[in-house]
Amino acid sequence: MKKNKKKMIILGIETSCDETSAAVVRIANYGLRITDCEILSNIVFSQIAIHKKYGGIVPEVAARNHVKNIIPVIDLAFKKARVTPKDIDRIAVTYGPGLITSLMVGVEAARNLAYAWKKQIIAVDHIKGHIYAAWLASQEFPISNFQFPILVLVVSGGHTELLLMKNVKSFKKVGQTLDDAAGEAFDKVAKMLELGFPGGPAISKLAEKGNPQAFDFPRPMIHSKDFNFSFSGLKTAVLYKNKESRIKNKEYINNIAASFQQAVVDVLAHKTIKAAEKYKVKTLILGGGVAANKLLRETMRQETKRLGIPFIVPEIKLCTDNAAPIAVAGFFGKEILWKKLRVDPQLEIE
Amino acid sequence: MKIITHSEKETIELGKKFAREFRGGEVIALYGDLGAGKTTFVKGLAQGLGIKKIITSPTFILMNVYKITNYELRITNFVHIDCYRIHSAHDIENIGAQEYFGRKDSVVVIEWAEKIKEILPKRKLEIKITSKEKNNRIFAIY
Repeated sequence: MKKNKKKMIILGIETSCDETSAAVVRIANYGLRITDCEILSNIVFSQIAIHKKYGGIVPEVAARNHVKNIIPVIDLAFKKARVTPKDIDRIAVTYGPGLITSLMVGVEAARNLAYAWKKQIIAVDHIKGHIYAAWLASQEFPISNFQFPILVLVVSGGHTELLLMKNVKSFKKVGQTLDDAAGEAFDKVAKMLELGFPGGPAISKLAEKGNPQAFDFPRPMIHSKDFNFSFSGLKTAVLYKNKESRIKNKEYINNIAASFQQAVVDVLAHKTIKAAEKYKVKTLILGGGVAANKLLRETMRQETKRLGIPFIVPEIKLCTDNAAPIAVAGFFGKEILWKKLRVDPQLEIE
Repeated sequence: MKIITHSEKETIELGKKFAREFRGGEVIALYGDLGAGKTTFVKGLAQGLGIKKIITSPTFILMNVYKITNYELRITNFVHIDCYRIHSAHDIENIGAQEYFGRKDSVVVIEWAEKIKEILPKRKLEIKITSKEKNNRIFAIY
């Protein structure tokens, strides 16, 4: 049966960590098949400047700022999109995984609005948001060309996961970190080197001037048969190198940053490509905050080229936490009664 | 008491051995720098309690609660808390972590416990992990 072309307008809300975000996305579709996603607005209030002075995200401060900003951010999202609450078909909100006190702000806002406006509410897995961000990268690669199975590498401050998608709604975790997330390793190494917060961008910047072969850091688990990762030992190796080094000039710091970054990227790329080969995937997607890392993007681009499969990575502002992909995920999600919606900080993808 | 381990594997074994003594209600405060082996030790504790799930660092979300099902004791929650990035004990109060302190059905282990001194229960086990060489870890228990 041929389905009629439809349009759905979704309000997305994301507050799982330290970004308060709301977006309005218009999705053109035939049934489950999306033909086009258009971001009408995507407002992100980043708290980075606030947390910088503490050297990291302070949960209580994050929650307080979410409370302060959530309604103005949603209001601005409507204004920029030039739509009114009447125009939206559903509300999609991140309910986990994340910081419980941050998640609750977005979820409570969504519940209240859904009740007041009599709208459907869809509870969205934050990780799926990072995945569906690829559906918004369509200028480079049209959605109609997406071919399954798709392998997704999600890397961020809280997650490092390899997911296999057999179709647009199926997710199977085929690998994950056994200890620290890749982004967490970046943050912790940055702290050791006293580079400030957030650590990822600070390290990549210095790495550009450093020699990635200066230090031979371990590539943990690179030859293990599974597709799991481990970054805790690498972090410790950097720590000991740094402890025993006497001269800590600029060149040294740049070299440490470059060598560390190279080790992380080597492991991520090697394992991802191995998994892509094993599962004979037809597309590779990269998502999450660490996907903003230039070296990782470039390495994955080259490796997928060699493999002859399309590589999709959203632009940087869609890789870091934002509500537009949450709205896209809301398109595929099931409605939940506002009364039944609870946050789930430890949510696992299914 | 002082115990020295010489590898990651030995640290995990030590954790497992420790966990076998648990009767429920234990709160373990862990002290030690980045890379000291705190999370590795916690992995051992979890294995000793029969948890099959992968224990990952809770730095990002502060607390992970693992359900224990097939354990002969009455312990049903293994609570892993990480205070690395918090600045005040309020952060841990706000996420409801204290609800698990001292509960008979729970074992709580806290990394970077020095950051929440004021809310730690009186009855607790304190373990300080230090290292002088790459692979050696000294566990001071008091």
